[in-house]
Amino acid sequence: MAALLEVADVTVRFGGLTAVDAVSLQVGAGEVCALIGPNGAGKTTLFNAVSGNVAVTDGRVTFRGEAIHRLTPHEIAAKGVRRTFQNGGLFGQLTALENVLVGLHTRVDSRLLGLLAGRKAARQAEQAATRQARELLDIFEIGHVADTPAADLSGGQQRMVEIVRALATEPPLLLLDEPAVGLAPHMRAQLGAVIRRLAAERGIGILLIEHAIELVMSVSDRVVVLNYGKKVADAPPDVVRADRNVLEAYLGHA
Amino acid sequence: MPRLRVTRRLFWLVPLALLPLPLYLDQYRQYVVNLMLMYVPVGIGFNVVVGNLGLLAFSNVAFFGIGAYTSGVLALKLGVPWWLTILPAGLMGALAGCAAGIPALRGVRLFYLAIMTLAFGELLRWVYIRWVPVTGGSFGMSVPPPSVFGWTLETEGHKFYVFLVLVVLMVVLTDRVLRSRFGRAFMAIKDNELAAAAMGIPTDRYILLAFAWGGFVVGIGGSMYAALVGHVTPIAFDLTELILEFAVIMVGGLGSLLGSVIGAAVITAAPEFFREWLGFQELLFGLLIIAVILFLPRGLASLLARLHPVFVDRYYRD
Repeated sequence: MAALLEVADVTVRFGGLTAVDAVSLQVGAGEVCALIGPNGAGKTTLFNAVSGNVAVTDGRVTFRGEAIHRLTPHEIAAKGVRRTFQNGGLFGQLTALENVLVGLHTRVDSRLLGLLAGRKAARQAEQAATRQARELLDIFEIGHVADTPAADLSGGQQRMVEIVRALATEPPLLLLDEPAVGLAPHMRAQLGAVIRRLAAERGIGILLIEHAIELVMSVSDRVVVLNYGKKVADAPPDVVRADRNVLEAYLGHA
Repeated sequence: MPRLRVTRRLFWLVPLALLPLPLYLDQYRQYVVNLMLMYVPVGIGFNVVVGNLGLLAFSNVAFFGIGAYTSGVLALKLGVPWWLTILPAGLMGALAGCAAGIPALRGVRLFYLAIMTLAFGELLRWVYIRWVPVTGGSFGMSVPPPSVFGWTLETEGHKFYVFLVLVVLMVVLTDRVLRSRFGRAFMAIKDNELAAAAMGIPTDRYILLAFAWGGFVVGIGGSMYAALVGHVTPIAFDLTELILEFAVIMVGGLGSLLGSVIGAAVITAAPEFFREWLGFQELLFGLLIIAVILFLPRGLASLLARLHPVFVDRYYRD
């Protein structure tokens, strides 16, 4: 069976700079794949290439066997590739509930004319979405902040709302860009448990960029290491930990 | 939350309470009330684009003028009764909205978008002045007395009832748009365009939609202008008018539907109150605006929102 996400020889160049250099990787359903490497290694650029936020210079990205590297970000998202953002991508003026509702956007079956005419079907579609968003917040134990504007939430709560929002449509593939940044140690452990549960219980494939190395080692099935835009390792966590190339990438030439 | 649901319905009491108003007001005061009503759709449409979608687009007088001229030309040149010109005025406003939104689709933002949309409004003014056979040029045109279903609206009181129906309709329809995935998409684009696209929202389409809806509602306000003032001239849609309309949404509350209504009422009524202090009117008016912006940066609507959650803007349905 083909992998859920297949990145094949992807190169991204900005002018003369090659940010990602012929990188290949695969993420299967229910698999947690971590993407690590020093700053500037090309991790976020590769992420952006998958989600359609930067143009792929060369190579292919396929999702469920379908090429997606020429699609726009909203088309890729609608196909079921959802992501979070490194610097927090919440809609600050909207409440936690409304943020999750935006996550559900493609699933709310209300038409403009139906809404304007006050049609029952349109109203009910909106109401059903609201109930679903509240349930999701409850499941992830942040239901009590549903009506708080996202900008007023704590850092940990914001991370959770962003993950719940990305998960709302039950996407087959989730891209998490440094979800643990700024989280207290106990929140990190909680986040790790959530990531494991999503992969194991719901079969979601997860591609994870993370600097918190203990989190990476505890949740990942596989770790891909990038250095200067090139893939230098792709193996289970305990193998990567002992890899000479990886040590060099992080510590310089030994 | 069943309790809140009931209280939101209480908003219907406001137009009902206004019904006997013409019995108590003379023609001039009634005219001022009608002017307030006219500025409600003008503020609502502006606020959808600037407050909800969050784009710095100053083309509102263009939509307002297009609406007024559409109604005026149809009534004067083609003899169409006023009430049949309302919808065309809205549609022309929507069309102008789409045109004004095109630079935003090309990624033009902030000051650049502000100046381009300002230029759009001025360009239309040039058309009003130059296209003499249709618009009457600089002197404008006199619009025949407005009529509805064959009845001529002879007094300000008559106009009031028709305006009230239009205003309630525009508030209800805009509320339906905003409290749905469409309104949420506008707000998402305002707060974080990249993240909005990552939620599967085709941002370009929603930007155009917000401009079109804004233009539609403001265009209907323009049609009300033609009926209320009876004379449509290019000078009515200049930069001073734009600043006044901007004051409506800033004082009322950016991004707040309730704020557009309050802002329209306050900005129209204030100069009338200040009339007692002859010679200081403009000064007092300016001070009022500065005071609100200074002490209530989110407008008068934010004051109400602090009083009761029913006044808080929301973008979903329970």
